[in-house]
Amino acid sequence: MTRADATACLMRRLRDHAVVVSLGHPAYDLYVAGDRAENFYTWGSMGLTCSIALGLAMARPDRRVVAIDGDGSLLMNLGTLATIGSRRPPNLLVVVWDNQAYGTTGGQPTATARGADLAGAAAAMGLESITTRTADEFDRALDQAEARRRTTAIVVKVDESAPQGRPPLDCVFIKQRFMAALGVPEDATRGQAI
Amino acid sequence: MPASWAPGVCAGLAASAIGHIVYVPDNPLSQLLAGLSRDYPHISQTLATREEEAVGIASGLYLGGVRPAVLMQSSGLGNCANAIGSLLVAYQIPVVFVMSMRGDAGEWNWAQVPMGRAIEPILDSFGVPHATVDRPEEAESIVRALCETAFSARVPAACLLPRRLTTGE
Repeated sequence: MTRADATACLMRRLRDHAVVVSLGHPAYDLYVAGDRAENFYTWGSMGLTCSIALGLAMARPDRRVVAIDGDGSLLMNLGTLATIGSRRPPNLLVVVWDNQAYGTTGGQPTATARGADLAGAAAAMGLESITTRTADEFDRALDQAEARRRTTAIVVKVDESAPQGRPPLDCVFIKQRFMAALGVPEDATRGQAI
Repeated sequence: MPASWAPGVCAGLAASAIGHIVYVPDNPLSQLLAGLSRDYPHISQTLATREEEAVGIASGLYLGGVRPAVLMQSSGLGNCANAIGSLLVAYQIPVVFVMSMRGDAGEWNWAQVPMGRAIEPILDSFGVPHATVDRPEEAESIVRALCETAFSARVPAACLLPRRLTTGE
């Protein structure tokens, strides 16, 4: 399964989920699979996807929140699994595209190519976690996560694929569209009587 | 007995409708965390493993409609510089920092001094407004003013707590 296929598989299951996605290829694939106001595309701050999603999940217990991270990105900020494990918001799902490489920067191997086990790390920090290797396994894991309603990490082994598009570059637009879709528009986006 | 500057900082954060504190611990900050727990229990607190992570969590809180503040030792600014640039400034996400200073006047540990000297130039290079609390009685008004700027102008802002203030020397 390529990362693009896996992204399309996940996209078919999204309803009003708020999605935070890691920069580079994961964000590009999400945009191609389905641009939506509830997608928060990062363009920098590599490693912080799961942390942003944790903050969002705590702020909005009424919304299901999905973090789409990459293996290289999550390895930059593994400590955040400990924080997620200590808070365990039940509305947070972490999905990690594990292609065992820094796909956006030229395909250099990550530590998962040498056996680093991200699902094991998530489990050790108190999250429900699973590694999936096929589309069927990923689909079943998403079913289970939905039914379980506990903080879950799904590490999805994927093959690299060339992205076919990329999201808007305007960071403030991305943020304001996202916040409006979550029902918390920024004051600055609205006029007011004086 | 909390130092007199701490209640002012807490009051300033509460008056500015801060809803969630994300922190990496430091000695002076314990007084703020204790004061917030005691006097403003409606403000949630989350411990982060690293300052960069704290900036990420705070950004998510803001995106969800909660006003965030990050409490950390100033040395942690180096650990979160890219997050300030490519997340907070780029997306105009207001996060209010409260930083207990290391490496400023009164520092005993030389290893802390180079980073201490770099704090204000780093903040200035990102265009992050900052102010230093020199006297306990101005703590609340400085925090309130920084929060006003942050959430109106949608920029991160930083309140610096020098060692002379927090150690009473």
